[in-house]
Amino acid sequence: MNPALELTGMGKTFGTVRALDGVDLTVAAGEVHCVLGENGAGKSTLCNLIYGTAAPDEGEMRLFGEPYRPRRPADALKSGVAMVHQHFSLVPTLTVAENLLLRDGLRLRLPHRDLGARVAEIEASYGLRIDLTARAADLPVGDRQSVEIVKALLRSPRLVLLDEPTAVLGPAEVGALMDTCRRIAAAGRAVLLITHKLGEIETAGDTATVLRGGRVAGAGPLAELGRDRLVSLMIGRPPEGLSALVTAGLDVPAQRTEPVEERPVEERPVEERPAGVAEDGTGVRIEGLRVRRADGSAALDGVDLRIAPGEIVGVAGVEGNGQSELVAALSGALAGEGRFEVAGTDLTGTGPAERTAAGVGIVPEDRHHEGCVPAMSVAENLYLGRLGEFRRRGLLDRAALRAAAAAVIGEHGIRAAGPDAPMGTLSGGNQQKVVVARELALDPLRFLVAAQPTRGLDIAAVDAVLARIRAAAARGAAVLVVSSELPELLALCDRVLVAYRGRLLGPVPCSAPSARAEIGDLMVGVSA
Amino acid sequence: MTAALRRFATARDALVYGGAVVAAALVGVLLVLGGGASVGTAAGALWNGMAGTPYAFGSGLNAAAVLGLIAAGFTVAYRAGLVNVGGEGQLAVGGIAATAAGVHLPEGLPGMIGVPLVLAAGFAAGACWAGIAGWLKTSRGTSEVITTLLLNFVGLGLLSLVVHEEGLLRQPVTSADTLPQSAPLAEAARLPLLGSAESPATVAVAVAAAAIVIVGVVLRRTATGTRLRAVGLSVPAANRLGLRVGRLQVGALATAGGLAGTAGAALVATVPFVLAEGFTAGYGFAGLVVGLLARGSVTAVAGIAFAFGLLASGGINLQLEAGVPASSVQVVQSVLIIFIAGAVVLRKERGR
Repeated sequence: MNPALELTGMGKTFGTVRALDGVDLTVAAGEVHCVLGENGAGKSTLCNLIYGTAAPDEGEMRLFGEPYRPRRPADALKSGVAMVHQHFSLVPTLTVAENLLLRDGLRLRLPHRDLGARVAEIEASYGLRIDLTARAADLPVGDRQSVEIVKALLRSPRLVLLDEPTAVLGPAEVGALMDTCRRIAAAGRAVLLITHKLGEIETAGDTATVLRGGRVAGAGPLAELGRDRLVSLMIGRPPEGLSALVTAGLDVPAQRTEPVEERPVEERPVEERPAGVAEDGTGVRIEGLRVRRADGSAALDGVDLRIAPGEIVGVAGVEGNGQSELVAALSGALAGEGRFEVAGTDLTGTGPAERTAAGVGIVPEDRHHEGCVPAMSVAENLYLGRLGEFRRRGLLDRAALRAAAAAVIGEHGIRAAGPDAPMGTLSGGNQQKVVVARELALDPLRFLVAAQPTRGLDIAAVDAVLARIRAAAARGAAVLVVSSELPELLALCDRVLVAYRGRLLGPVPCSAPSARAEIGDLMVGVSA
Repeated sequence: MTAALRRFATARDALVYGGAVVAAALVGVLLVLGGGASVGTAAGALWNGMAGTPYAFGSGLNAAAVLGLIAAGFTVAYRAGLVNVGGEGQLAVGGIAATAAGVHLPEGLPGMIGVPLVLAAGFAAGACWAGIAGWLKTSRGTSEVITTLLLNFVGLGLLSLVVHEEGLLRQPVTSADTLPQSAPLAEAARLPLLGSAESPATVAVAVAAAAIVIVGVVLRRTATGTRLRAVGLSVPAANRLGLRVGRLQVGALATAGGLAGTAGAALVATVPFVLAEGFTAGYGFAGLVVGLLARGSVTAVAGIAFAFGLLASGGINLQLEAGVPASSVQVVQSVLIIFIAGAVVLRKERGR
């Protein structure tokens, strides 16, 4: 029998970047095939080629033995290829039923009745539950993902692509999703699951292809490859020498042989940390922080938080539970009610400039939107807020600016063509290093807020960025890390709070063996 | 590598502009032939009108100065990500303020004091006028394109009001033939000629040149220029980095309005030295076009303003000498704009 999908010699170049190079891949019907790889390994490009959003430069695709060359997603859908996107593609103001009917294009009267029967059938066979009458915007993320999957299955696809489907899900939801994947495969369809997290696929996957730098690093049945082999294929070196943090980024469950104490938190024994702020007014004090969304609903509903100098506090949670608003409110970009005090200085109601002056460093969630100006040079991005220091006879002293930036570039190991290189030409990891370097350069740095500091970075960059954050704490800054990467938080923080519907639940001390499970429960609001 | 890329980009830019100019010139030739003149006569007439006589060259320079001032201001706002469409209204209020100051200057005041005073009045009025749009932008989030555009009509309405009302700036009405315009400006308020008596070029040309140089230096070489650029490229990032985004935006827009207001002051302080309805003569929009074509480059502002100023005076001569309508120059300019704008849009599409 022909394999469901067979790729031979696929290649794709974007500008000067070789995104994919000679990739072969075979997916059999009835199996869950995982495509693994770090960020930037070419996973999403591969997905785009199969779904027709981009055209390959070379190589051949065959779908159930027939040549397959989609020119646009509509072709892919016609050939029986469906995709569940990383970011949801539902119209928020429409009901679930209307969203599901959109795929058929315009009609005068929407065929609601047929839909009900089809959906009931899909729900029964794949263990999904969706509410057809709910508005898409009102659904929690997990349910929205279920709708996306039902939407994909409605066309009875022969091949289902899932691009990083677990990025926004809590642990329980990930489990349910993996179960659904198995059921889809059991129904004789092929599933291509794209992810950079090893932990979650071990229960669901049959075979795997590992991409590294656009090439196939290895492939085979998951059971034969084994976890260590997969890790070393993904990162290109044996996993032994890696810190716990690095493997945390891949969501490899902690090895049983490795004691928890080996987390590199050397000079800061966890027990001595005061759970909150000392009475002398040092550290960070946030009281009753409330932020309303444009529609009047509460994005943050009374957040109280104390962070002592040197303490690293993590905020976990399914996305959309107020984490972004928390960071925006702390940075001064968003006005909210409540008190915000850093080292005894009241910063309530101040703007970003005053907060920076008071020693509040922010690593924003969205680098390109807020963190930097891609069209400006590295030097300008590093010193934009401090241009007044580089003045000579009323003009900007570009030579001094360049020299200062070159020093920072060297010190932080930033790979750039030079201080004058536009920020946009740097890789994501190096851009993030620039942002982190800039925020850490505050003197004194009293409070560092890092939102999704490692999103989209490769392993080496993750390591560098996290080491810098830890060093900032060691020098006495209070640190708040907001991240959707739970293992990363567990490895980095002293305690973790969980954002749930605008409030912070917890804390869960990270040294507790059951921390992961407790946080998982809090994320879906099981215990509060 | 980046240097090579940049050189390639410059070469391509030159090609785009060159191609557009050639295409526009072809359209011009067709218009001339349609107008019943030979290409040679028309070209000769155009050239005579542009640079043939000191008078023609001088009036071309004056027009270029007005365009250059407006376009330099446009470029400042543009650097901060703001589009100032309000040149016409800012010209009008600048002219009104300059007239109000100019007609009341005492007899015997030296021009050394009077002229800067009149120009400063124009700058201040234009800056305040654009500042309204800037304030609305930062406090209410209203698009500056809409507000500056609408303020044009208010400004032109205001101009009409002040030249019709005797209590305001209208000259004393002595007979039914008295035109609705202001009294002539005092001697001290009139812009002195730049050179010989045959050329009508005034110090406005020097003022515009100085303004363009200052704008260029500020945008390219100072911290303020870099900050404006950051605001223009990303407001959230500039905010995050502690820049006073609101102040920079209002300042940039006020500077744009101020320079347009100065141009308005220069217009009323040149022959015939009166404020009258229609004195703005579309310069506000022509200056906007110069700014748009220059696409943020101050050097290009100088060059394009110079060319457009001379072409405007050449067009008049085209009608006088060759019988080809002066508006054909405007048609050619419009064609040029469409080609260049089209090339820019096309390139953006392909770049995706």
